Amino acid sequence: MGGLNTSLLIGVQALDANQGALEATSNNIANVNTPGYTREVAQFTENGENQTGDQVTGGGVALSGLQSIRDELLNIQIQHQTSQQNSANTQSSSLQQVQTLFTTNGDDIASGLTALSSSLAQLSASPSSTAAQQGVLSSGKNLAAAFNTTAQGLATAQSDADQQVPQTITQINLLTQQIAKLNTQLGQVPAANDGGTTQDQLDQLVQQLSGLTGISITQNNDGETITTASGTPLVMGGQSFDLQAATGTNGFKQVLDSNGNNITSSIQGGTLGGAIETRDQVIPGFQSQLNTLASQFATAFNSAQAQGYDSNGKTGGNFFSVPSNPNGAAAGITVALTSASQVAISSDGSAGSNGNVANLSAALTNTLPSGQSPSDAYANLVFQVGNAASNASTQSTAIGQNLTQLTNQQGAVSAVDINEETTNLMRFQAAFEAASRIVSTVQVLDNATLNMGSSSSF
Amino acid sequence: MTTVVTQDRDRNAAEYLRLLVTLREELDKAMGAIASNALEQFEDSIASQQLLSARLVVLADELSVPLAAGNTAPPVPIDDHLMHQIFIAGDSLQKLNRAYAALLHHSSRSTALMVSFFASARGQIQEASGPRLKYQTWSCQM
Repeated sequence: MGGLNTSLLIGVQALDANQGALEATSNNIANVNTPGYTREVAQFTENGENQTGDQVTGGGVALSGLQSIRDELLNIQIQHQTSQQNSANTQSSSLQQVQTLFTTNGDDIASGLTALSSSLAQLSASPSSTAAQQGVLSSGKNLAAAFNTTAQGLATAQSDADQQVPQTITQINLLTQQIAKLNTQLGQVPAANDGGTTQDQLDQLVQQLSGLTGISITQNNDGETITTASGTPLVMGGQSFDLQAATGTNGFKQVLDSNGNNITSSIQGGTLGGAIETRDQVIPGFQSQLNTLASQFATAFNSAQAQGYDSNGKTGGNFFSVPSNPNGAAAGITVALTSASQVAISSDGSAGSNGNVANLSAALTNTLPSGQSPSDAYANLVFQVGNAASNASTQSTAIGQNLTQLTNQQGAVSAVDINEETTNLMRFQAAFEAASRIVSTVQVLDNATLNMGSSSSF
Repeated sequence: MTTVVTQDRDRNAAEYLRLLVTLREELDKAMGAIASNALEQFEDSIASQQLLSARLVVLADELSVPLAAGNTAPPVPIDDHLMHQIFIAGDSLQKLNRAYAALLHHSSRSTALMVSFFASARGQIQEASGPRLKYQTWSCQM
């Protein structure tokens, strides 16, 4: 659609620049076109001739109605926005599921980190206490379990998004087959002969298709040619081209075109595009951060453990065990110690020493190689998940309102005064620009409010 | 003297809070106007938003600089409860503002396309034959 918009704008600029020449030649062009147009396309009336001295010139044509053409443009816009909205809805739905994994409920990672810190403080106060040693071991196990649960939850959300791919492909294929049939019917029976019923059905199916995946439509004498946003054919006249779903090397469903080419990465928009983006980009981004946190935290804690001695006088062994594959760190992290007596409390091997507890505690607050402490890294991840969910929801709402606006325009009365419409649209444009400036001002106010608070007791 | 300054700051802060709430209502109103194509309501709301945001900026400046030049006395704190309400209202406004910005983005794009089309429609419609005549238009060929 960006290309269309740009092309239209360029067209307008060119028209403006050549206005004088166009006025001189438009009579010829327009008069050639006028007889072929039916009322449903555009209402042209030929203006009377002008006579200047001995010279007689054509008066041109007046375009008194433009409803059908306007409908087509609105249809394209509505299809595009429907596609965007379904994509945002799909992402929003998945991200709300993901968000629940990061809420504070006592079993989450933040609570696990806090509990481990508290248990270490108790151990520092009572290094010989078996209960305190056991407390550290239990807290470690709970933290590892929290990592496992969160990783599993992300994998489930990813799997749910994956399952939408073949389901959506089936729906797309059904629709494209029906559209191809209607294209054939329209080629045989002129639209005027059935009162436009077939055309209406076709429009409706195309609208549904646009909700499933981003599409591009071109018209020719065989009917509509529909492709994916990236150009893969779905319908050409009376022929449809089925998409296929096949399991890829990563275990997820891939989208293949009718020739078996993998077009997964080029799918955009609609339920299908939203599911693929969530599965292949959004959730993997969260998984990567979670795995990095699990891996780096375990390494740091194990290093602290290795600096001390356990209750048996032995050098501290690894507290946590993480898989060698970093992609499975959060899902596979476990506590390696088998007994509470293996916690490296002492810094010199002497009984009653708590010298190494400080090192263990420091592993919870020191900066990891990623540049943040474990708590901060986790908080940052929680923020990103919340932000992504909020953005998807906001986008969905905004597009929904824009769709309402477009639908209202579509339902407007058929006799359109093009001058009045243009004037109104330009007034809208000016208002949008003014509103955008207010948006920026309100954004700045956020900082101002914070400054206000920081200068007082807050 | 300190009491007077405190009262002034609290009064301004209360005014600031009231304007934040009113601006939020205006954004809500504007979004509804866009969705229903109510141009005049939208323009009226924009005018109100401009007044409100301008006043808010002035108040924010005043409240962020509580001391007169050369005065070394500590800043006069704004009432805790009032400040808390301001933070809540500010947060709520920012959230709505993000939705407003997204709506403006999408609507501006649609409108630009329509303006371009209407502005270029003159003499640009081309003839085609057959049952697909309806679609053989300049806009669709683009």
